[in-house]
Amino acid sequence: MATLCRVRHRWKRIKCAHVLTRSLTGKFDYDLVVIGGGSGGLACSKEAAQFGQRVAVLDYVEPSAKGTKWGLGGTCVNVGCIPKKLMHQAALLGTAVKDAKKYGWQISGPVCHDWATMAEAVQNHVRSLNWGHRVQLQDKKVKYLNMKGSLVDEHTVKGLTKAGKETILTAKNIVIATGGRPKYPTNIPGAIEYGLTSDDIFWLKKSPGKTLVVGASYVALECAGFLTGIGLDTTVMIRSIALRGFDQQMAGLVTDYMEAYGTKFVRKCVPKRVEKLSSGALQVTWSDINTGSEHKDTFDSVLWAVGRAPETKALGLDKLGVKLNKETGKIVLGADESTSVPNIFAFGDIGEGRPELTPTAIKAGKLLAQRLAGHSTQLMNYDNVATTVFTPLEYGCVGLSEEEAERRHGKDGIEIYHAFYKPLEFTVPERDASQCYLKVVCERGGDQKILGLHFTGPNAGEVTQGFSLGFQCGATYSHLLQTVGIHPTCAEELTKVNITKRSGLDATVTGC
Amino acid sequence: MAQYEEVTVHGYEEFCKAVSERAGKEIFAYFSGNKDAQGKSWCPDCVKAEPIVRGEMSHLPEGSVFIYCQVGERAFWKDPSNDFKKTLKLSGVPTLLRYGTPQKLVEEECFKSDLVKMMFTED
Repeated sequence: MATLCRVRHRWKRIKCAHVLTRSLTGKFDYDLVVIGGGSGGLACSKEAAQFGQRVAVLDYVEPSAKGTKWGLGGTCVNVGCIPKKLMHQAALLGTAVKDAKKYGWQISGPVCHDWATMAEAVQNHVRSLNWGHRVQLQDKKVKYLNMKGSLVDEHTVKGLTKAGKETILTAKNIVIATGGRPKYPTNIPGAIEYGLTSDDIFWLKKSPGKTLVVGASYVALECAGFLTGIGLDTTVMIRSIALRGFDQQMAGLVTDYMEAYGTKFVRKCVPKRVEKLSSGALQVTWSDINTGSEHKDTFDSVLWAVGRAPETKALGLDKLGVKLNKETGKIVLGADESTSVPNIFAFGDIGEGRPELTPTAIKAGKLLAQRLAGHSTQLMNYDNVATTVFTPLEYGCVGLSEEEAERRHGKDGIEIYHAFYKPLEFTVPERDASQCYLKVVCERGGDQKILGLHFTGPNAGEVTQGFSLGFQCGATYSHLLQTVGIHPTCAEELTKVNITKRSGLDATVTGC
Repeated sequence: MAQYEEVTVHGYEEFCKAVSERAGKEIFAYFSGNKDAQGKSWCPDCVKAEPIVRGEMSHLPEGSVFIYCQVGERAFWKDPSNDFKKTLKLSGVPTLLRYGTPQKLVEEECFKSDLVKMMFTED
């Protein structure tokens, strides 16, 4: 009797094993389906394919309110980092040309800028990147679908083409990396009909002309910066503070420089309405927050840079119970990029509490792919990420702002070394360097661990990248003192910094 | 089977003329080293790629143009000042490109039939 029971149980176990195997192999079309072909989505899908996973990526660009659309690659490639940096470079060259005369270059008359030439060159480069990504996906055997993806259930994704044709894909795991899009203000008549956003500015065939940039984010300041630099009459309208979340002393230096170099600032004001005049120009009415008085001016273009919203509306997340942050609308994530639904993951700009940066999205995407393929357990480290704001005077930083360091360690718990310096290249053309500055925020005791490093100056991104390695390794002020500078550079001033804010002494660097 | 026009040209001037005569059309161009009297090119990659490219031509869009351009002899090609390199910015042969766009396949990329098909069929 006992033997019979044992045999029956063994048979049950064998049957279960077969059922389990059947459900793991051949049940799903793909091992991984990624919705979103931007910095994160592409990195994740290509990495997964390297591990032999069957991967599909869906990318679709809903045209902007003005009708602008673009190819594969996401925000960074098409309407972010890449065109921004190229136009920033165009503007810097304008300043360089002005300096050139002092260096002996014989330039006959005033040098003017042609928007169409710059735009075509930038747009062509972006298109070559779209193509490059397309070839890479094909080469790495990632299935690419130019379709708008949405979730049907935990293992099913629906893809919709522009023409409305539907495709259904099943997947073991689903990754959402749809990023964000610029917000339009909701309560300003004429905002949507007449205004542009960063989705449009880089794809204009004709110059935007006299432009009002509304907003004080890095998007607003970077755009206003290059528009001014190429010679356009540019005004920035700020409601409260500039570069919220960044070190405010540094933010002030950035905007001071922009003002000195020709960008107009209208502070503590909010736009009320935008109307189109018979001339075709746009009339903007705004009110002063303090006095309530109203003002008007005409512009050729109005650029809204008032924040970005996550692309979650059309995904069908609520149907599946994927938890979103009520305030931001972004997807709530675990440290391993998991959502509230077991096999659905998300990362990049769409993730709550995540930096909105390409390098973090790429790295997080690759690590996620490695974990999903069972090749690693390593989680993404979002700490110590260096960034740079590419305003006319660039601002690079890594670590904590002075305010945040004070909040965490107390004013008495930190020591700030700082210096105003003058780039050598500014001397000959007699350029004003009043806002070229750096500060190193350190713990006060012991080896004085560096908590934050801030630098405004030319090539701030290049300078900060090198120091961010030291930061990642736990550099201290002692390490900095032991580091010999490269001469003559701006970066070397970071290795020489020795005046503390606490001392109250003049922090201007004297000649070498 | 889509109807496309195939044009054969030799050298840069003929190429430019063929393009300007077909303004407004979708033009694909395939650049190869010159073929000798026996029909064999001095460029071994071109010899390898040609049947692969031709194998995908049935996917060419309706009304498009396929220009088969022989660039010249090996010595001419090797000179970096030749117009194909200087003006058209070609870096190697064979090159398959969609004229007027940054879309191109260079050298070994032309050996991959799926990439060739992708170029002919996608936007």
